[in-house]
Amino acid sequence: MNKILECRNLTKIYGKVVAVNNVSIGIGKGETKVIFGPSGSGKSTLLRCLGLLEKPSSGSIYFNGLDVYATRQDLNKLRARIGFVFQDPSLFRHLTALGNIMLGLKHVIGLSESEAWRKAYEALRLVKMEDWANYYPAQLSGGQQQRVGIARAIAMDPEVVLFDEPTAALDVELKWEVIAVMKDLADRGTTMLVATHELRFAKEVADEMIFMDQGQIIEIGSPEHFFTSPNTERAKKFMAKILG
Amino acid sequence: MTPIEQIIFLLKAVPVTLAISLLSFLFGLGLGILLAFMRIFESAPLRYLSDSYEKFFRSVPVLAVMLLLYFGVGPFIPIFKDPFFTSVFSLGIVSGANQSQIFRSAIGSVGRTQMLAAISIGLTRFKALRYVILPQALFLAVPGLGSEIALLIKDSAYSFIIGVIELMKHTDILRASQRSLILPYVSSAIIYVVMTFPVATFLDKWGSRKKKELGL
Repeated sequence: MNKILECRNLTKIYGKVVAVNNVSIGIGKGETKVIFGPSGSGKSTLLRCLGLLEKPSSGSIYFNGLDVYATRQDLNKLRARIGFVFQDPSLFRHLTALGNIMLGLKHVIGLSESEAWRKAYEALRLVKMEDWANYYPAQLSGGQQQRVGIARAIAMDPEVVLFDEPTAALDVELKWEVIAVMKDLADRGTTMLVATHELRFAKEVADEMIFMDQGQIIEIGSPEHFFTSPNTERAKKFMAKILG
Repeated sequence: MTPIEQIIFLLKAVPVTLAISLLSFLFGLGLGILLAFMRIFESAPLRYLSDSYEKFFRSVPVLAVMLLLYFGVGPFIPIFKDPFFTSVFSLGIVSGANQSQIFRSAIGSVGRTQMLAAISIGLTRFKALRYVILPQALFLAVPGLGSEIALLIKDSAYSFIIGVIELMKHTDILRASQRSLILPYVSSAIIYVVMTFPVATFLDKWGSRKKKELGL
């Protein structure tokens, strides 16, 4: 199957710490995959490498079959086609919700002011934030900010969207509005790779779940597989801990 | 001259003092932003150049720069024979070093995640600085820039030494012609306070308010 985004033997080392150790995964069009595992298991680093925000120490990343680093692709152009949602939404604080989304449409894609406005507004509607279009990030709740963060990523019409624990910093009540938006995106066929601890979300929408620990992939399988009978002891323990 | 006439005479020099301060501030602003950007880009020579510039001009008295340019360079480069230009230029290049530092720390406190978010949507590093980092840094820099304007208004007084007819010069003219020290100097001091204090205070308050509103 043709993968949109793929990494082979990806390793990322910070000083002496091996954050990601020889990981190979890929995601095909329309798929939703969930990466999960304990904190510090390398999920975020892996996603940042896949989002071309960090350069791997070794290994390759393929975007639509093209080796990104070996063929010296223009990273800025590729990043525009890979959406990224941060744990801390990282909205641009000097811009309104609408302004946050319009920035990339205008200055990366090159849309006119009015085209960018229309498209940004459309994206806000998808995440049900159109009533908050003219509010600044500081005036929004964490959940609302994260929905704008998602809108900012999807407005660019990326081929794949990477989510780096989008609900980890949110209170329980606020998580659900974000998860609802993500489910909606998955149902629309958005290609998504999601690092999350929300296993119920994974159960409902994931085509595949990837369990990571200490920088390595421990086990890959369907949600059903993980929820009924994971092979490894580590996955079993982790599932039990999360599901309480 | 009656005291009122003397004060009016002093006030007539205010536009020149303000012109020097404002022009040198704008010159320093452009220079400061440029120097701060040079420090961020991953080019060692640019960083070194900017760093040396900042260190040098933050350590040299503006008066020394002014005198050197006017008396030392003026005979060779005619534009420095013009006292108004020379004082604006001198104040500007020194202020550029101060403003570079103000911007550097402002850019530093905007934070790395904003840069990462900007890069993630496909902005180039330059566009990320231009559209995401700099606008936020400007808000954060406003209180510091307010103090810098106040400093420039005060330091513009040095230009009277190379012959610019500004507030300090008018004060000196009164001292010589009226044989009085108290009235000219006290009035002139009050005029300086009236020019500097509100600007610095207003920009400090405005900047702090914006910072809070935007959660910077």
